[in-house]
Amino acid sequence: MTFNEKIVNVRELKHVEGKIELYWIYTSGEAGDKFFKALKDEGKFLASKCSYCGKTYFPPRIYCEYDFSETEFIEISGEGRVRAFAVATLDSYEKPLENPEIYAIIDLDDTDGCIVHLLGEVEIKEVFIGMRVKPVLKPKEDREGRITDILYFKPS
Amino acid sequence: MKMDMDMDVNIKKNYPSYVRGREIKAEDIEEGRVSYNLHKPNIIYSFTAGQAISKFLNGLKEGKLLATECYSCNRTLFPPRIFCEVCFRPIDKWCEVKDSGVVETFSISYIDPDAKPLEKPIIVAVISIDGASPKMGIMHILGEVEPEDVYIGMRVRAVWKPESEREGSITDIMYWKPAEGD
Amino acid sequence: MNVERIKGLKFHKKQDVAIVGAGITTFKRRLNETGKELSYYAAKQALDEAGLSIKDVDMVVMGSAPDAFDGVHMKGEYLLDGSGGSDKPYMRVFVGGGTGVFAPIAGYWHVASGLADVCLVVCEEKMSSCYPHPQSAFKYIWDPILERPLKPNLIWIFALEMRRYMYVNNIKHEDIALVSVKNKANALDHPSAQLAARITVEDVLNSEPMALPVRRLDVSPPSDGASAIMMVASHIARQLTDEPVWVNGVGWALDTTWWTNRDLYFPRYVAEAARMAYKMAHITNPRKEVDVAEPYDPFDYKELHHMEGLGLAKKGEAHILTREGITARDGDLPICPSGGLLGVGNPIAATMGVKVAEIYWQLAYRAGKRQVAKEVTTGIAQAWGDLMQIGTVMVLSNKR
Repeated sequence: MTFNEKIVNVRELKHVEGKIELYWIYTSGEAGDKFFKALKDEGKFLASKCSYCGKTYFPPRIYCEYDFSETEFIEISGEGRVRAFAVATLDSYEKPLENPEIYAIIDLDDTDGCIVHLLGEVEIKEVFIGMRVKPVLKPKEDREGRITDILYFKPS
Repeated sequence: MKMDMDMDVNIKKNYPSYVRGREIKAEDIEEGRVSYNLHKPNIIYSFTAGQAISKFLNGLKEGKLLATECYSCNRTLFPPRIFCEVCFRPIDKWCEVKDSGVVETFSISYIDPDAKPLEKPIIVAVISIDGASPKMGIMHILGEVEPEDVYIGMRVRAVWKPESEREGSITDIMYWKPAEGD
Repeated sequence: MNVERIKGLKFHKKQDVAIVGAGITTFKRRLNETGKELSYYAAKQALDEAGLSIKDVDMVVMGSAPDAFDGVHMKGEYLLDGSGGSDKPYMRVFVGGGTGVFAPIAGYWHVASGLADVCLVVCEEKMSSCYPHPQSAFKYIWDPILERPLKPNLIWIFALEMRRYMYVNNIKHEDIALVSVKNKANALDHPSAQLAARITVEDVLNSEPMALPVRRLDVSPPSDGASAIMMVASHIARQLTDEPVWVNGVGWALDTTWWTNRDLYFPRYVAEAARMAYKMAHITNPRKEVDVAEPYDPFDYKELHHMEGLGLAKKGEAHILTREGITARDGDLPICPSGGLLGVGNPIAATMGVKVAEIYWQLAYRAGKRQVAKEVTTGIAQAWGDLMQIGTVMVLSNKR
């Protein structure tokens, strides 16, 4: 037995192009809705605290993932400290960026959580781990209730 | 058999005793009453047809329907593949089957792939192909026939695009039409 | 070439497996909660009913259908924290619409093998994220070369299967519509229900045509929702409750993806899966030994089709049982007492909540207003999916 009459001329091999024509609308959920509305309407940062173990989640959640207890929302300053940072020189299509962007993981004060966001108003060589930063928000009228309502974090 | 007595005692509680979840409507999103993110990615694929289907598509271009044979189970496989999935061995021979067949089942579709209404309903059918093993068929469209005239067991024949317009695609057959008396 | 196989079953169970709790969210076309939050609601409820905490859970199984619905292409991992899987052995399983019974089957392996004593099974679906319509995601289950150029809607295959089923068995649409009438009415007693209603056969037959013979009221809706069950070993079950519900058999099978190469009138995939599950559960006459069943009913004809595959009715005769009221909640063989997918909703994998969880509640006599009238010992839950291809079956009993 053989796979007989096999096509060897690559020009005789066919392919079909296809496109996935879907798009998605993601609701922010119960915790996310509260968080983004506070950010958009009041410029406030919310976290949530586990009523059992006290772990404070940022971004907030309605449950503690380790105890499965409910949480309560608390207000935080939004300021924090750089835990790690990276400099992006390419965009998501791997095209060079004119102005390299600094992305950082920022530990938010009074929480056990962190956020990944841009750093601004700072030179690359001035950034260091442990640097204190605070958020810069879009003007209220431009805010949409999305993570991009925070423009970037800047040294404080 | 029925346990009429003590039935109420037996039923302890109504579970689930509560259900959670906040229903929202499309307008809540459209009017921004809940926060959300929209993402419209641009994802493009190139699907290789592989050995068997490449040959099959090249056959369509020539106006032929190609199939393969397995000598172990004596089936003529259509659409063709390079292996028999029942015997799990390579096929033994390529052959040509007819461009006619029998309607095994059909549907009259009023909706497009995105569940939007179609202007004119289309008739879709599973057609078992003459010359292939019983029940070996493909899904395709029926034409030159009114929905109320289609029936299971109806003989049909392929209506091909003109040779110059064929491109080696399943749509080189435009549709299948009734072939009674052919 | 119709190969009927009875596969040998080599099976060494380490310990018996019981279900001791279940949870379910509401099912709606659109919910605000994220998939993680829905998973949490359901999992928390199942834990509470069982009297367990998340710290008692050894392993977690997640069931969720195509990533294309939620729009997160690592859905299992994404849903992990809401399902209680953090820092635990965790896996996600997926066999299309069959997932709602396949996930608990995977949970069963975890416990029966002795690897886990307590396994939490969570199923989630958030179909509303997908645009322009949840059905659009189904465009991408078709063969990209032979079928997709014909611009099919998924409803086509069901319409084709339904027509073939009706033709071979000489069944009228009126007989099939009775299933929709029954299930939507049963759903009136389910707190999660999305499409509970009192309707008539005429309503079904006069509803908007989708892909004939399928009309609007023959079909279950797309939904958001989640469900969960707690599966534990016998020595744990004994500590928690006097009335555990035992998993006595599981089975699953897939037929060929070349769906235009098989006769669609009979679901061979369900029959194969049932044969495996019955063998394990020592059931020889399902019609006599099964007291209540939740076959998968995304379409009304599917309930009948699956009853025949499950051996609960002879080929082509399931509709007679429906017509005679035998499958009603107070009948001799209640079918879909929950209200099923047609009445409660169809968040693909999360339908575990109206299949396995419902049979659990029925056999534990906890179904309240939905409790079937007859005395029950043994029940079955079944799901189905992919290109009319997979059958997944679970046999449950309040006796070991």
